[in-house]
Amino acid sequence: MNQLRVALAVARKDLRSEWRTRELVPALAQFIILALLIGNFGFQIDSRNASTIAPGILWLALVFAGLVAFGRTFAAEREQASLEAMLMTPASPVAIFAGKALAAAALLVVCEMVLLPALSLFFGMPLSGDVVAAVLLATVGMAALGCLFAAVVARVRARELLLPLLTLPLWIPFIIAGGLAVQSAMGLPGSYQQAIGLLIDFDILFVVLTSLAARFVLDE
Amino acid sequence: MNRFERAAAVAVLLMLLAAGAIFVYAPTDALQGPVQRIFYLHVSSAIAAYGCFAVVLVGGIIYLRNDSAVADRFARAGALVGVVFTTVTLVMGMLWAKPIWNTFWTWDARLTSTLVLWIVYAGYLLVRRMAEPGRQAARLAAVVGIFGFIDVPVVHFSVTWWRTQHPGPIIVNDALPVQMLGTFLFTLACTLVLAGVMIAIRYRIETLIDEKQSIAEPVPVAAGHRAEAGPEAVP
Repeated sequence: MNQLRVALAVARKDLRSEWRTRELVPALAQFIILALLIGNFGFQIDSRNASTIAPGILWLALVFAGLVAFGRTFAAEREQASLEAMLMTPASPVAIFAGKALAAAALLVVCEMVLLPALSLFFGMPLSGDVVAAVLLATVGMAALGCLFAAVVARVRARELLLPLLTLPLWIPFIIAGGLAVQSAMGLPGSYQQAIGLLIDFDILFVVLTSLAARFVLDE
Repeated sequence: MNRFERAAAVAVLLMLLAAGAIFVYAPTDALQGPVQRIFYLHVSSAIAAYGCFAVVLVGGIIYLRNDSAVADRFARAGALVGVVFTTVTLVMGMLWAKPIWNTFWTWDARLTSTLVLWIVYAGYLLVRRMAEPGRQAARLAAVVGIFGFIDVPVVHFSVTWWRTQHPGPIIVNDALPVQMLGTFLFTLACTLVLAGVMIAIRYRIETLIDEKQSIAEPVPVAAGHRAEAGPEAVP
Protein backbone atom coordinates (compact mmCIF):
# COMPACT_ATOMS: atom_id res chain seq x y z
CA MET A 1 0.00 0.00 0.00
CA ASN A 2 2.77 2.32 1.04
CA GLN A 3 4.78 1.28 -2.02
CA LEU A 4 1.86 2.18 -4.26
CA ARG A 5 1.61 5.60 -2.63
CA VAL A 6 5.32 6.21 -3.25
CA ALA A 7 5.01 5.12 -6.88
CA LEU A 8 2.03 7.39 -7.44
CA ALA A 9 3.82 10.29 -5.76
CA VAL A 10 6.87 9.85 -7.99
CA ALA A 11 4.66 9.60 -11.08
CA ARG A 12 2.75 12.70 -10.01
CA LYS A 13 6.01 14.58 -9.50
CA ASP A 14 7.27 13.65 -12.97
CA LEU A 15 4.00 14.52 -14.66
CA ARG A 16 3.77 17.81 -12.75
CA SER A 17 7.26 18.85 -13.81
CA GLU A 18 6.37 17.93 -17.38
CA TRP A 19 3.15 19.94 -17.09
CA ARG A 20 5.07 22.97 -15.81
CA THR A 21 7.70 22.94 -18.53
CA ARG A 22 5.56 21.41 -21.31
CA GLU A 23 8.68 20.41 -23.21
CA LEU A 24 8.51 16.71 -23.91
CA VAL A 25 4.94 16.21 -25.11
CA PRO A 26 4.92 18.98 -27.76
CA ALA A 27 8.35 17.86 -28.97
CA LEU A 28 7.19 14.25 -29.20
CA ALA A 29 3.97 15.23 -30.96
CA GLN A 30 5.97 17.14 -33.52
CA PHE A 31 8.36 14.20 -33.84
CA ILE A 32 5.43 11.90 -34.56
CA ILE A 33 4.01 14.20 -37.22
CA LEU A 34 7.46 14.35 -38.82
CA ALA A 35 7.69 10.55 -38.76
CA LEU A 36 4.35 10.38 -40.60
CA LEU A 37 5.60 12.95 -43.11
CA ILE A 38 8.70 10.86 -43.77
CA GLY A 39 6.57 7.72 -44.04
CA ASN A 40 4.52 9.50 -46.64
CA PHE A 41 7.62 10.24 -48.73
CA GLY A 42 9.25 6.87 -48.13
CA PHE A 43 6.34 4.85 -49.47
CA GLN A 44 4.28 5.34 -52.58
CA ILE A 45 1.01 5.79 -50.82
CA ASP A 46 -2.35 5.74 -52.52
CA SER A 47 -5.84 5.02 -51.28
CA ARG A 48 -5.46 1.27 -51.90
CA ASN A 49 -2.23 0.51 -50.04
CA ALA A 50 -2.50 3.14 -47.28
CA SER A 51 -4.19 0.75 -44.88
CA THR A 52 -1.45 -1.90 -45.25
CA ILE A 53 1.36 0.61 -44.78
CA ALA A 54 -0.20 2.52 -41.89
CA PRO A 55 0.39 -0.18 -39.22
CA GLY A 56 4.09 -0.27 -40.07
CA ILE A 57 4.36 3.48 -39.79
CA LEU A 58 2.41 3.36 -36.52
CA TRP A 59 4.95 1.05 -34.86
CA LEU A 60 7.98 2.78 -36.30
CA ALA A 61 6.79 6.17 -35.10
CA LEU A 62 5.72 4.80 -31.73
CA VAL A 63 8.99 2.96 -31.11
CA PHE A 64 11.15 5.95 -31.90
CA ALA A 65 8.96 8.38 -30.00
CA GLY A 66 9.15 5.93 -27.10
CA LEU A 67 12.94 5.89 -27.24
CA VAL A 68 13.03 9.68 -27.10
CA ALA A 69 10.52 9.73 -24.23
CA PHE A 70 12.32 7.07 -22.16
CA GLY A 71 15.68 8.65 -22.84
CA ARG A 72 14.31 11.72 -21.05
CA THR A 73 12.90 9.90 -18.00
CA PHE A 74 16.11 10.07 -16.05
CA ALA A 75 17.54 13.16 -17.73
CA ALA A 76 16.14 15.69 -15.27
CA GLU A 77 17.11 13.53 -12.32
CA ARG A 78 20.61 13.26 -13.66
CA GLU A 79 20.99 16.96 -14.32
CA GLN A 80 19.87 17.81 -10.78
CA ALA A 81 21.48 14.72 -9.21
CA SER A 82 18.10 14.21 -7.55
CA LEU A 83 17.93 10.45 -8.15
CA GLU A 84 20.51 9.87 -5.41
CA ALA A 85 18.46 12.03 -3.08
CA MET A 86 15.34 10.03 -3.87
CA LEU A 87 17.18 6.76 -3.31
CA MET A 88 18.36 7.99 0.09
CA THR A 89 14.78 8.27 1.29
CA PRO A 90 13.24 5.19 2.87
CA ALA A 91 11.15 4.68 -0.29
CA SER A 92 12.00 1.41 -2.00
CA PRO A 93 13.84 1.64 -5.33
CA VAL A 94 11.18 -0.56 -6.92
CA ALA A 95 8.46 1.92 -5.98
CA ILE A 96 10.51 4.83 -7.36
CA PHE A 97 11.10 2.89 -10.54
CA ALA A 98 7.41 2.02 -10.86
CA GLY A 99 6.52 5.69 -10.46
CA LYS A 100 8.91 6.77 -13.16
CA ALA A 101 7.68 4.02 -15.48
CA LEU A 102 4.07 5.06 -14.85
CA ALA A 103 4.84 8.68 -15.70
CA ALA A 104 6.74 7.67 -18.83
CA ALA A 105 3.89 5.40 -19.90
CA ALA A 106 1.41 8.23 -19.36
CA LEU A 107 3.50 10.53 -21.56
CA LEU A 108 3.65 7.85 -24.24
CA VAL A 109 -0.13 7.47 -24.08
CA VAL A 110 -0.42 11.21 -24.69
CA CYS A 111 1.80 10.74 -27.76
CA GLU A 112 -0.44 7.93 -28.92
CA MET A 113 -3.38 10.31 -28.62
CA VAL A 114 -1.63 12.37 -31.27
CA LEU A 115 -0.34 9.47 -33.34
CA LEU A 116 -3.53 7.46 -33.80
CA PRO A 117 -5.79 10.32 -34.95
CA ALA A 118 -2.99 11.61 -37.18
CA LEU A 119 -2.61 8.18 -38.79
CA SER A 120 -6.32 8.01 -39.32
CA LEU A 121 -6.33 11.51 -40.80
CA PHE A 122 -3.30 11.22 -43.08
CA PHE A 123 -3.37 7.53 -43.98
CA GLY A 124 -7.06 6.77 -43.74
CA MET A 125 -6.40 4.15 -41.08
CA PRO A 126 -9.70 3.15 -39.48
CA LEU A 127 -9.58 3.71 -35.73
CA SER A 128 -11.34 1.13 -33.63
CA GLY A 129 -11.33 0.18 -29.98
CA ASP A 130 -9.40 -2.94 -30.98
CA VAL A 131 -6.52 -0.91 -32.42
CA VAL A 132 -6.41 1.37 -29.39
CA ALA A 133 -6.47 -1.61 -27.01
CA ALA A 134 -3.54 -3.28 -28.82
CA VAL A 135 -1.46 -0.11 -28.76
CA LEU A 136 -2.20 0.53 -25.08
CA LEU A 137 -1.34 -3.05 -24.10
CA ALA A 138 1.96 -2.82 -25.95
CA THR A 139 2.66 0.49 -24.18
CA VAL A 140 2.56 -1.18 -20.76
CA GLY A 141 5.40 -3.59 -21.45
CA MET A 142 7.34 -1.14 -23.57
CA ALA A 143 7.20 1.41 -20.75
CA ALA A 144 8.44 -1.10 -18.17
CA LEU A 145 11.37 -2.22 -20.33
CA GLY A 146 12.14 1.25 -21.68
CA CYS A 147 12.25 2.74 -18.22
CA LEU A 148 14.45 -0.06 -16.88
CA PHE A 149 17.02 0.42 -19.60
CA ALA A 150 16.78 4.20 -19.34
CA ALA A 151 17.84 3.67 -15.73
CA VAL A 152 20.59 1.30 -16.87
CA VAL A 153 22.08 3.77 -19.33
CA ALA A 154 21.51 6.84 -17.15
CA ARG A 155 24.96 6.39 -15.64
CA VAL A 156 26.72 5.36 -18.81
CA ARG A 157 28.76 7.71 -20.95
CA ALA A 158 27.15 7.25 -24.38
CA ARG A 159 23.59 6.80 -23.17
CA GLU A 160 21.90 8.13 -26.31
CA LEU A 161 23.73 5.48 -28.29
CA LEU A 162 23.07 2.62 -25.96
CA LEU A 163 19.40 3.10 -25.08
CA PRO A 164 18.06 2.14 -28.53
CA LEU A 165 20.54 -0.72 -28.86
CA LEU A 166 19.46 -2.26 -25.58
CA THR A 167 15.75 -1.45 -25.67
CA LEU A 168 14.75 -2.20 -29.25
CA PRO A 169 15.58 -5.95 -29.19
CA LEU A 170 13.52 -6.30 -26.03
CA TRP A 171 10.60 -4.44 -27.56
CA ILE A 172 10.47 -6.80 -30.54
CA PRO A 173 8.00 -9.26 -28.93
CA PHE A 174 5.60 -6.37 -28.31
CA ILE A 175 5.99 -5.15 -31.86
CA ILE A 176 5.37 -8.63 -33.28
CA ALA A 177 2.23 -9.24 -31.24
CA GLY A 178 1.05 -5.62 -31.32
CA GLY A 179 1.72 -5.38 -35.03
CA LEU A 180 -0.34 -8.48 -35.69
CA ALA A 181 -3.15 -7.29 -33.42
CA VAL A 182 -3.37 -3.95 -35.23
CA GLN A 183 -3.18 -5.60 -38.65
CA SER A 184 -5.92 -8.06 -37.84
CA ALA A 185 -8.05 -5.34 -36.26
CA MET A 186 -7.78 -3.56 -39.62
CA GLY A 187 -9.03 -6.60 -41.51
CA LEU A 188 -5.69 -8.09 -42.59
CA PRO A 189 -5.27 -11.82 -41.90
CA GLY A 190 -4.39 -12.93 -38.37
CA SER A 191 -6.12 -13.75 -35.12
CA TYR A 192 -6.81 -10.66 -33.02
CA GLN A 193 -7.74 -12.66 -29.92
CA GLN A 194 -4.49 -14.62 -30.00
CA ALA A 195 -2.36 -11.52 -30.55
CA ILE A 196 -4.03 -9.69 -27.67
CA GLY A 197 -3.60 -12.73 -25.43
CA LEU A 198 0.08 -12.80 -26.29
CA LEU A 199 0.44 -9.07 -25.59
CA ILE A 200 -1.08 -9.57 -22.14
CA ASP A 201 1.29 -12.49 -21.47
CA PHE A 202 4.30 -10.42 -22.49
CA ASP A 203 3.09 -7.51 -20.35
CA ILE A 204 2.86 -9.72 -17.28
CA LEU A 205 6.21 -11.41 -17.97
CA PHE A 206 8.18 -8.22 -18.50
CA VAL A 207 6.50 -6.15 -15.80
CA VAL A 208 7.35 -8.86 -13.26
CA LEU A 209 10.93 -9.17 -14.58
CA THR A 210 11.58 -5.44 -14.65
CA SER A 211 10.27 -5.01 -11.12
CA LEU A 212 12.63 -7.77 -10.00
CA ALA A 213 15.56 -6.17 -11.83
CA ALA A 214 14.79 -2.56 -10.86
CA ARG A 215 16.34 -3.09 -7.44
CA PHE A 216 19.73 -3.90 -8.96
CA VAL A 217 19.65 -1.03 -11.42
CA LEU A 218 18.62 1.73 -9.02
CA ASP A 219 20.01 0.46 -5.72
CA GLU A 220 23.43 2.08 -5.44
CA MET B 1 54.38 -22.74 -24.08
CA ASN B 2 52.11 -21.94 -21.16
CA ARG B 3 48.94 -23.86 -20.46
CA PHE B 4 46.75 -21.42 -22.40
CA GLU B 5 48.84 -21.83 -25.51
CA ARG B 6 48.76 -25.59 -25.10
CA ALA B 7 44.98 -25.58 -24.72
CA ALA B 8 44.64 -23.36 -27.79
CA ALA B 9 46.84 -25.72 -29.79
CA VAL B 10 44.70 -28.68 -28.75
CA ALA B 11 41.51 -26.83 -29.71
CA VAL B 12 42.90 -25.90 -33.13
CA LEU B 13 44.01 -29.48 -33.70
CA LEU B 14 40.55 -30.77 -32.77
CA MET B 15 38.92 -28.30 -35.17
CA LEU B 16 41.23 -29.51 -37.97
CA LEU B 17 40.22 -33.10 -37.19
CA ALA B 18 36.58 -32.01 -37.29
CA ALA B 19 37.21 -30.39 -40.68
CA GLY B 20 38.69 -33.68 -41.83
CA ALA B 21 35.60 -35.54 -40.65
CA ILE B 22 33.31 -33.01 -42.33
CA PHE B 23 35.05 -33.04 -45.70
CA VAL B 24 36.38 -36.61 -45.91
CA TYR B 25 34.43 -38.93 -43.64
CA ALA B 26 30.88 -37.58 -43.94
CA PRO B 27 29.00 -38.59 -47.10
CA THR B 28 27.72 -35.97 -49.52
CA ASP B 29 24.07 -35.16 -49.05
CA ALA B 30 21.88 -36.62 -51.82
CA LEU B 31 19.65 -33.58 -52.22
CA GLN B 32 21.74 -30.59 -51.16
CA GLY B 33 25.16 -31.76 -52.33
CA PRO B 34 28.36 -30.49 -50.71
CA VAL B 35 26.62 -27.38 -49.36
CA GLN B 36 25.07 -29.53 -46.67
CA ARG B 37 28.51 -29.86 -45.03
CA ILE B 38 28.00 -26.34 -43.67
CA PHE B 39 25.39 -27.82 -41.33
CA TYR B 40 27.97 -29.50 -39.05
CA LEU B 41 29.75 -26.33 -38.05
CA HIS B 42 26.64 -24.16 -38.32
CA VAL B 43 24.62 -26.13 -35.76
CA SER B 44 27.67 -26.76 -33.56
CA SER B 45 28.55 -23.10 -33.30
CA ALA B 46 24.90 -22.23 -32.62
CA ILE B 47 24.91 -24.67 -29.70
CA ALA B 48 28.28 -23.33 -28.52
CA ALA B 49 26.88 -19.79 -28.67
CA TYR B 50 23.89 -20.80 -26.54
CA GLY B 51 26.30 -22.37 -24.08
CA CYS B 52 28.33 -19.14 -23.90
CA PHE B 53 25.21 -17.07 -23.29
CA ALA B 54 24.15 -19.50 -20.59
CA VAL B 55 27.51 -18.67 -18.97
CA VAL B 56 26.59 -14.97 -19.23
CA LEU B 57 23.19 -15.64 -17.67
CA VAL B 58 24.52 -17.73 -14.78
CA GLY B 59 27.45 -15.36 -14.26
CA GLY B 60 25.07 -12.39 -14.17
CA ILE B 61 22.72 -14.03 -11.67
CA ILE B 62 25.60 -15.04 -9.40
CA TYR B 63 27.07 -11.55 -9.67
CA LEU B 64 23.79 -9.90 -8.69
CA ARG B 65 23.45 -12.28 -5.74
CA ASN B 66 26.90 -11.98 -4.21
CA ASP B 67 29.07 -9.50 -6.15
CA SER B 68 31.47 -12.24 -7.21
CA ALA B 69 34.16 -10.78 -9.47
CA VAL B 70 34.87 -14.27 -10.83
CA ALA B 71 31.27 -14.68 -12.01
CA ASP B 72 31.40 -11.28 -13.68
CA ARG B 73 34.62 -12.10 -15.54
CA PHE B 74 33.12 -15.36 -16.74
CA ALA B 75 30.06 -13.43 -17.96
CA ARG B 76 32.27 -10.98 -19.86
CA ALA B 77 34.27 -13.78 -21.44
CA GLY B 78 31.12 -15.74 -22.29
CA ALA B 79 29.49 -12.75 -23.98
CA LEU B 80 32.48 -12.07 -26.22
CA VAL B 81 32.97 -15.71 -27.25
CA GLY B 82 29.21 -16.13 -27.68
CA VAL B 83 29.03 -13.17 -30.05
CA VAL B 84 31.87 -14.69 -32.09
CA PHE B 85 30.04 -18.03 -32.36
CA THR B 86 26.73 -16.33 -33.17
CA THR B 87 28.48 -14.45 -35.97
CA VAL B 88 29.85 -17.74 -37.31
CA THR B 89 26.39 -19.29 -37.10
CA LEU B 90 24.74 -16.40 -38.95
CA VAL B 91 27.36 -16.20 -41.69
CA MET B 92 27.43 -19.97 -42.26
CA GLY B 93 23.65 -20.07 -42.29
CA MET B 94 23.50 -17.35 -44.90
CA LEU B 95 26.08 -19.15 -47.06
CA TRP B 96 23.95 -22.28 -46.83
CA ALA B 97 20.68 -20.45 -47.48
CA LYS B 98 21.80 -18.79 -50.71
CA PRO B 99 22.06 -22.01 -52.78
CA ILE B 100 19.30 -23.90 -50.92
CA TRP B 101 16.66 -21.24 -50.29
CA ASN B 102 17.90 -18.98 -53.10
CA THR B 103 18.19 -16.05 -50.70
CA PHE B 104 20.71 -15.05 -48.06
CA TRP B 105 18.09 -14.02 -45.59
CA THR B 106 14.48 -14.69 -44.73
CA TRP B 107 12.55 -13.54 -41.68
CA ASP B 108 11.76 -16.90 -40.19
CA ALA B 109 11.76 -17.62 -36.47
CA ARG B 110 15.24 -19.02 -35.99
CA LEU B 111 16.93 -16.46 -38.21
CA THR B 112 15.11 -13.57 -36.57
CA SER B 113 15.77 -14.76 -33.04
CA THR B 114 19.43 -15.50 -33.80
CA LEU B 115 19.84 -12.00 -35.17
CA VAL B 116 18.20 -10.61 -32.03
CA LEU B 117 20.54 -12.77 -29.96
CA TRP B 118 23.52 -11.28 -31.75
CA ILE B 119 22.22 -7.72 -31.29
CA VAL B 120 21.49 -8.22 -27.58
CA TYR B 121 24.94 -9.52 -26.73
CA ALA B 122 26.71 -7.08 -29.01
CA GLY B 123 24.81 -4.48 -26.93
CA TYR B 124 26.06 -6.21 -23.78
CA LEU B 125 29.64 -5.80 -24.98
CA LEU B 126 28.96 -2.14 -25.78
CA VAL B 127 27.63 -1.55 -22.26
CA ARG B 128 30.80 -3.07 -20.86
CA ARG B 129 32.88 -0.85 -23.05
CA MET B 130 31.01 2.38 -22.38
CA ALA B 131 30.14 2.13 -18.68
CA GLU B 132 32.72 3.10 -16.09
CA PRO B 133 34.47 -0.18 -15.34
CA GLY B 134 33.73 -1.60 -11.95
CA ARG B 135 30.77 -2.63 -9.93
CA GLN B 136 28.21 -0.49 -11.71
CA ALA B 137 29.08 -1.71 -15.19
CA ALA B 138 29.00 -5.28 -13.94
CA ARG B 139 25.54 -4.83 -12.43
CA LEU B 140 24.09 -3.12 -15.46
CA ALA B 141 25.60 -5.66 -17.81
CA ALA B 142 24.26 -8.51 -15.66
CA VAL B 143 20.76 -7.08 -16.07
CA VAL B 144 21.28 -6.77 -19.83
CA GLY B 145 22.58 -10.34 -20.04
CA ILE B 146 19.68 -11.78 -18.09
CA PHE B 147 17.03 -9.88 -20.06
CA GLY B 148 18.70 -10.83 -23.32
CA PHE B 149 18.61 -14.49 -22.42
CA ILE B 150 14.89 -14.27 -21.66
CA ASP B 151 14.12 -12.14 -24.69
CA VAL B 152 15.49 -14.57 -27.25
CA PRO B 153 13.12 -17.50 -26.58
CA VAL B 154 10.25 -15.01 -26.40
CA VAL B 155 11.16 -13.56 -29.80
CA HIS B 156 11.65 -17.07 -31.14
CA PHE B 157 8.28 -18.17 -29.86
CA SER B 158 6.47 -15.11 -31.20
CA VAL B 159 7.92 -15.47 -34.67
CA THR B 160 7.28 -19.23 -34.75
CA TRP B 161 3.70 -18.56 -33.89
CA TRP B 162 3.77 -16.07 -36.74
CA ARG B 163 5.59 -17.92 -39.53
CA THR B 164 8.52 -20.27 -39.96
CA GLN B 165 10.44 -22.08 -42.67
CA HIS B 166 13.74 -23.06 -41.05
CA PRO B 167 14.51 -26.79 -41.46
CA GLY B 168 13.27 -28.55 -38.36
CA PRO B 169 15.51 -30.36 -35.89
CA ILE B 170 16.24 -33.55 -37.83
CA ILE B 171 18.94 -34.80 -35.45
CA VAL B 172 16.46 -36.13 -32.94
CA ASN B 173 14.33 -38.33 -35.22
CA ASP B 174 17.08 -40.64 -36.56
CA ALA B 175 16.70 -39.38 -40.14
CA LEU B 176 20.45 -38.70 -40.20
CA PRO B 177 22.76 -41.50 -41.48
CA VAL B 178 25.19 -42.73 -38.88
CA GLN B 179 28.30 -41.19 -40.53
CA MET B 180 26.58 -37.81 -40.62
CA LEU B 181 25.46 -38.13 -37.02
CA GLY B 182 28.98 -39.18 -35.97
CA THR B 183 30.52 -36.26 -37.84
CA PHE B 184 28.02 -33.87 -36.30
CA LEU B 185 28.58 -35.09 -32.74
CA PHE B 186 32.36 -35.01 -33.20
CA THR B 187 32.24 -31.47 -34.64
CA LEU B 188 29.94 -30.42 -31.82
CA ALA B 189 32.34 -31.80 -29.20
CA CYS B 190 35.32 -30.08 -30.86
CA THR B 191 33.44 -26.78 -31.13
CA LEU B 192 32.45 -26.93 -27.47
CA VAL B 193 36.09 -27.56 -26.51
CA LEU B 194 37.10 -24.60 -28.66
CA ALA B 195 34.48 -22.40 -26.99
CA GLY B 196 35.62 -23.54 -23.56
CA VAL B 197 39.26 -22.78 -24.36
CA MET B 198 38.32 -19.38 -25.77
CA ILE B 199 36.34 -18.56 -22.63
CA ALA B 200 39.25 -19.67 -20.43
CA ILE B 201 41.72 -17.49 -22.35
CA ARG B 202 39.35 -14.54 -22.34
CA TYR B 203 38.77 -15.06 -18.62
CA ARG B 204 42.51 -14.79 -18.08
CA ILE B 205 42.62 -11.59 -20.16
CA GLU B 206 39.72 -10.10 -18.17
CA THR B 207 41.53 -10.96 -14.93
CA LEU B 208 44.64 -9.17 -16.17
CA ILE B 209 42.55 -6.15 -17.23
CA ASP B 210 40.95 -6.01 -13.78
CA GLU B 211 44.34 -6.28 -12.10
CA LYS B 212 45.80 -3.56 -14.28
CA GLN B 213 42.90 -1.30 -13.44
CA SER B 214 43.16 -1.88 -9.71
CA ILE B 215 46.87 -1.08 -9.86
CA ALA B 216 46.21 2.10 -11.84
CA GLU B 217 43.65 3.42 -9.35
CA PRO B 218 43.81 1.80 -5.91
CA VAL B 219 40.46 0.45 -4.80
CA PRO B 220 38.81 2.13 -1.86
CA VAL B 221 38.00 -0.66 0.57
CA ALA B 222 34.25 -1.04 0.37
CA ALA B 223 32.27 -3.09 2.85
CA GLY B 224 30.66 -6.18 1.40
CA HIS B 225 32.60 -5.99 -1.84
CA ARG B 226 35.78 -7.77 -2.71
CA ALA B 227 38.76 -5.73 -3.76
CA GLU B 228 39.56 -7.71 -6.91
CA ALA B 229 36.44 -6.44 -8.60
CA GLY B 230 38.32 -3.37 -9.76
CA PRO B 231 37.78 0.29 -8.99
CA GLU B 232 34.30 1.29 -8.08
CA ALA B 233 32.43 3.93 -9.97
CA VAL B 234 31.32 6.54 -7.50
CA PRO B 235 27.60 6.96 -8.12
